[in-house]
Amino acid sequence: MWQQLRRRFGGPLAVAIVSLMGIWLIAMVLLPQWQMIDYSFHPSLLPAERGGVKDVWSLTNYATFFHNDIHLAIFFKTIWSSVLVTGLTLIVSYPLAYYLAKVATPGQAALCLLLLIIPFWINEILRTFAWYIIFAFKGPLNELLLALGLIDRPIRFLNGDTGVLVGMVYAYILFMVFPLYNAIESLDTNQIRAARDLGAGWGRTHRRIVIPHAKPGIATGCIMTFMLAAGSYAVPALLGSPGSRWFTQIIYNWFFEGGDWNQGAAYAFLLLVLCIVFVTVIMRVFKVGLGDIAK
Amino acid sequence: MDGRVSLRQVAMRFGDFTAIQPTSLEIESGEFFSFLGPSGCGKTTLLNMISGFLTPSEGSVTIGGSDMTRVPVNRRPTAMIFQNLALFPLMSVYQNIEFGLEVRGIDRQKRRQRADELLELVALTGSGDKPVAELSGGQKQRIAIARALAVEPRVLLLDEPLSALDLKLRQHMRIELKAIQRKTGITFIYITHDQGEALTMSDRVAVMSEGRIQQVADPMTLYRQPQTDFVASFVGENNRFPGRVMAVEGELVTLDAGLPAPLVGRSATPLEPGDPATLYIRPEQWRVGPADDRRLPLGGVIQSEHFEGAWLTLEVALDQGPTIRAQVPHMTPGADTGAPLVVGGACRLDYSPRQAVVLAGTLHEPASEEAVNVAAIA
Repeated sequence: MWQQLRRRFGGPLAVAIVSLMGIWLIAMVLLPQWQMIDYSFHPSLLPAERGGVKDVWSLTNYATFFHNDIHLAIFFKTIWSSVLVTGLTLIVSYPLAYYLAKVATPGQAALCLLLLIIPFWINEILRTFAWYIIFAFKGPLNELLLALGLIDRPIRFLNGDTGVLVGMVYAYILFMVFPLYNAIESLDTNQIRAARDLGAGWGRTHRRIVIPHAKPGIATGCIMTFMLAAGSYAVPALLGSPGSRWFTQIIYNWFFEGGDWNQGAAYAFLLLVLCIVFVTVIMRVFKVGLGDIAK
Repeated sequence: MDGRVSLRQVAMRFGDFTAIQPTSLEIESGEFFSFLGPSGCGKTTLLNMISGFLTPSEGSVTIGGSDMTRVPVNRRPTAMIFQNLALFPLMSVYQNIEFGLEVRGIDRQKRRQRADELLELVALTGSGDKPVAELSGGQKQRIAIARALAVEPRVLLLDEPLSALDLKLRQHMRIELKAIQRKTGITFIYITHDQGEALTMSDRVAVMSEGRIQQVADPMTLYRQPQTDFVASFVGENNRFPGRVMAVEGELVTLDAGLPAPLVGRSATPLEPGDPATLYIRPEQWRVGPADDRRLPLGGVIQSEHFEGAWLTLEVALDQGPTIRAQVPHMTPGADTGAPLVVGGACRLDYSPRQAVVLAGTLHEPASEEAVNVAAIA
């Protein structure tokens, strides 16, 4: 890669590019992460005690997590809910991406994409608040359902997980639609036609032809959506109830309410490990390499 | 197995654009039938209506006696070979061939047996486990044929499947396709813009232009007795002489085409003196002789000559007339008289009136660029 850079940009510029990349990686990614990991293995001490006899390596912060049933439960609930969000987003996005890539005329596809993107010009908090209003006990959704006679008393949407799930699917749909759209778009339409011509119904055509081809896109979309969902703070904070707390909220509490950065760092590190495990599993399941995802 | 295909008054419109004018056609069971025409003539649209990818705006499509007009593509007894073949790249050769059988719920063992039979038919025994990507162009072609035949279609539709191959392979595949068609007895419907393909393989050919079938005939008839100006110009080469009828004597029509001598040709339809008409002479129908041979009625000057192995192609500017193209066996010209034909020299020409076709009322220019209209060049 170095050779290639030098040939294309010349020596000095190549050095500049590589060192900028290096500085960014080291100063913005590796060092802070290392600092966090380091924090997580030390007890929380007063400034005066730092570097003193009490400042030793320990697993206490991790032990705290594994001994706290509520935090463990929230951790696994976060994983499960994030998987659910990822699955729901995939189910919602796939037909949309297929429509955009293979059914819509270029004009329709452009219009549709524009309509999808416009809401994302609005701040995430505001978008989430919109759902807060829609889902309110005396909000428009309940009014509508009552008016249609589908329910006879309003539902508390914001009580359980419904609000969080819907809010997240909505917030992250583009991160699923785009990789899917790119993957499906690159499929030769004649492949679909050939499968149909050989007698395959729509279900089988998707199962055997479109989905296998779109696998790298599905993997990319799932990874992005899962990471965003597992790491989300605003949506569960706004649309969640005390019963649907997210692990990020616990981390936040340790840092900014408990003031225990070391404990918070341990929790944050656990979340990072979880995400890495998830990415690895997904890549195994879909049999895709990092190269496929980068496409 | 009944592989008859009937189109009854089918038409296809996309908005204001009419891709196919109302068309009726009967294709016999077991026939090798081709649609020949330039790109954009509607032949692919017609094929898509037979395969079920398009539903005609009007009219009906019948295959093997049952109405298929509204039957979706996956329930039609047809199979298609696509221009780019559209093999499934993530599957092996076996999986490709067995796909249609798997869809039909045939068990693994039977599927494999059928796939092996088909691999034998296309002379690729033993390559079932290969990934499709490892095959050569010609092998991919055969796997595409095997995959389509696996579902035992009544009608096989071929959308210019040979256009991606090089010339030698293309010529070889023509023979092979024809052989497979004979062996299986399946109706083949072949789409092409290559008249060589259409003429060599087909039992019958439909020549299409601008959404309309111009003529349906066996290749020989198509070549010898074109019925429209488009067919005369598109199939093979022709020298065109528009003019006016001077006299009619049975089939033979004498035409004034502005040349020093009147031209005589044969017309299949009755004409009256004074009618506008066009006479066509194919390049190989000319006899070219030395300039002093007064028995030959037309005179001209040789503009150029091209040696093409068996043939010598000459471009001759007729006296007071257009430049025509003539093909002569290259040994003949002037060989016996000792006065060889040279570029820039004069010559005399003749043709046999019984072979020249006269068509009525075709004063407009031919529709296709591909049509060789030597008169227009001059």
